[in-house]
Amino acid sequence: MRIRVEAVSYRYPSGVQALQEVSFSVDPGETVAIVGENGAGKTTLARHLNGLLRPQSGAISIGDWDARLHSVAQLSSRVGYVFQSPDDQLFARTVREEVAFGPRNLGWESARVRECADSALVEAGLSDSADRHPYDLSPSERKFVALAATLAMRTPIVILDEPTTGLDASGVDRLSEIVSALSRAGVSLVIISHDLDFCIEHVERALVMTQGRIVADGPVKEVFLEPELLAQAQLRQPQLIRLARGLGIPFAPSTVEEFIQGYRSRRR
Amino acid sequence: MIAVQDLTYTYPGAKDPALSRLSLTVPAGQVCAVIGANGAGKSTLCHALTGFIPHFFRGTLQGELRVADLSIPDTPLAELAGTIGLVFQNPFNQITGARFSVLEEVAFGLENLGIPREEILDRCRSALELTGLQNLADRSPFDLSGGQMQRLAIASMLAMRPRLLVLDEPTSQLDPAGTEAVFLHLRQLASTGQTTVLLVEHKLEWIAAFADRVLVLSAGSLAADGPPRQVLGSADLERAGLRPNRYTLVARRAQELGLASAAPLPVTLEQAVEFLG
Amino acid sequence: MSQGFSLYLARDSGLHRLHPLTKLSLAATLLVAAFALPGPWSSYAVFLLVLLPLAAWGRILPGFLRSVARSVLPFALSLFLIQGLLWPGGSPVARLGPLSLKAEGLAFALASTGRILMIVSSFLLLALSTRPDLLMIALAQRGFPSTLSYIVVTTIQIVPYFQGKARAILDAQRSRGLETEGGLRRRLRALLPLVVPLVLSSILDIEERAIALEARAFGRHGTKTSLQVLSDSRAQSVLRWAILALAPLLLVAGLVL
Repeated sequence: MRIRVEAVSYRYPSGVQALQEVSFSVDPGETVAIVGENGAGKTTLARHLNGLLRPQSGAISIGDWDARLHSVAQLSSRVGYVFQSPDDQLFARTVREEVAFGPRNLGWESARVRECADSALVEAGLSDSADRHPYDLSPSERKFVALAATLAMRTPIVILDEPTTGLDASGVDRLSEIVSALSRAGVSLVIISHDLDFCIEHVERALVMTQGRIVADGPVKEVFLEPELLAQAQLRQPQLIRLARGLGIPFAPSTVEEFIQGYRSRRR
Repeated sequence: MIAVQDLTYTYPGAKDPALSRLSLTVPAGQVCAVIGANGAGKSTLCHALTGFIPHFFRGTLQGELRVADLSIPDTPLAELAGTIGLVFQNPFNQITGARFSVLEEVAFGLENLGIPREEILDRCRSALELTGLQNLADRSPFDLSGGQMQRLAIASMLAMRPRLLVLDEPTSQLDPAGTEAVFLHLRQLASTGQTTVLLVEHKLEWIAAFADRVLVLSAGSLAADGPPRQVLGSADLERAGLRPNRYTLVARRAQELGLASAAPLPVTLEQAVEFLG
Repeated sequence: MSQGFSLYLARDSGLHRLHPLTKLSLAATLLVAAFALPGPWSSYAVFLLVLLPLAAWGRILPGFLRSVARSVLPFALSLFLIQGLLWPGGSPVARLGPLSLKAEGLAFALASTGRILMIVSSFLLLALSTRPDLLMIALAQRGFPSTLSYIVVTTIQIVPYFQGKARAILDAQRSRGLETEGGLRRRLRALLPLVVPLVLSSILDIEERAIALEARAFGRHGTKTSLQVLSDSRAQSVLRWAILALAPLLLVAGLVL
């Protein structure tokens, strides 16, 4: 499902101009990262995509829907939003009930609710914890509960807000698998993240935002190769790019293997 | 400064101990990083060193636990405050909420310690300078970014002049700019040599550049202990459920393919450039 | 000064420089006076002759009048309507269809409103001209328990945080398809997913904050010092006692007269 954002501007009641004439689109099945410093407008922009915020000028379409004409609950059937803080939504007695909440709200019949909840639990690696109270799980496990709760809604678009915060290496691996599976299934992904190392491994395209504007929009490797651009958004390049630069090899490897290949051919 | 011997601790109602026969000695002035997979016992260790285990969390504690010549289980929390400082993940929950300016917020702990007023002002000013917050002294504590709030929490602890400062994943909820600022100021603190620092972190790249010593916790015990380059480049990391950073991984792969020498693996960018260049 | 819940308006004035307890004793005495003074007009007189000039002295007159109006007018309006219309028997003054406003009811409402006006405005005067943390320090110096004062002062700053958290929870649940508009049953069903996360995450937050406070030696029992210096004088101390002594006098006068 295509996302189209056209010249959207938004000012908070406090007077802060959070978005200035922002335009971009996401094709069905594309994976996009939105990066930028705190206050750049990334979360503000993402919240426009599921209706939590309404643009003061400009237009947003989610598939064939004009986002401005639909409620957040309606849009939730098309746009899943995984928030940064899982504790802001966990309320059910068991993980399974928690994950079933979204599908139930969408009005599906019980068999479908059960099926989608169960498969989401499997995808998120939570089958063993399905009957436990969400707060009995560790904080990083709770992040996966929140993720499963959105996965169960089977939306064609999924927004992830800082998904790697608080995860250790195995948590990031688990997240990576889930993100890759979503991508393979043709889901459009919008990932807001500070973790450029994670982004370069999982997205095709990157948007750099600073002070309410998009200052770069292109293939992730091209965008992340510009240190001054990233510095504008108070970001450093991913580790492998910095290493390549330090060795005088100007390319953008996204994995260790890619780096080694480039390094090898340079050495010959 | 820290003398722990065969420390075993089980949370109330838990089956298995969170810390299992842990022994550790840390000399004064050292900057010690503690890493480990989630659930390995890092936060438990932080709470034990600051007295919240056993005084706040109860549970069963065995073994010897001494910090700054005090036996933790035998010293009430109120007496430990000021000698041992704790900074944790959530910047917001460390703001007392009882003071309306950054300066007063930093002073809160000193007021509780009964420090004379003139000394309070002096200590607050230098703590704010050490954390780069001197220009925000009159700002409301709630009017700060996450990174600034975390630095405020650190400043509030530093003003109390603790002999040991324990930080439990202080940059976990911060953006890269906030993270960099915290590490920068911790490095300045460490260079004064007046405070022993124990830092729990996931960001291996930062630890590599900044710690004197790295401890690896796995299932409640110490799995490795040594200088950064040695520990962060070793195979012990994977066994403890961690992964070396990308610089180390690249170097290791290069070594495997015969593209690099058998030198010790790099753990920072500079070391990696040298290693592969 | 953070926004939060606090009514405090910072000004450079004599009223602001008064010791917090001086202002508190005035509010306390006026509270007693509200019930002790006779007739409906005395409370209005006190408002006009004592409280308004004090507010002017404190340079908070516009804010003061605004806050008083906001708090008292709704009460006054309903009081006048209810007492006027529902007073049993009595002499009607005006007719509104089948109902009529009775003079006795209006008189009663007038007296009650006067009392409310006096009490509310004297405490508002206190709140608008006194920093809550300084008031708490003043009370702590007189032996008020520090945990209680902590709770009062932090409520001012932390309630907006809870409001923010409640909004975040609402956003998260709406994003999972929760409908919050609609009939009563639907709204009731929407309560649990909104209230439970607030309570549970607040418990976690409170635990962490308790740890942070302990680490800042809040639980220490020895004498505590204060960065803020409260200016006081012998004259003010005498004034406070004089004001407080008025209270029992007024009570007696009210009973006798």
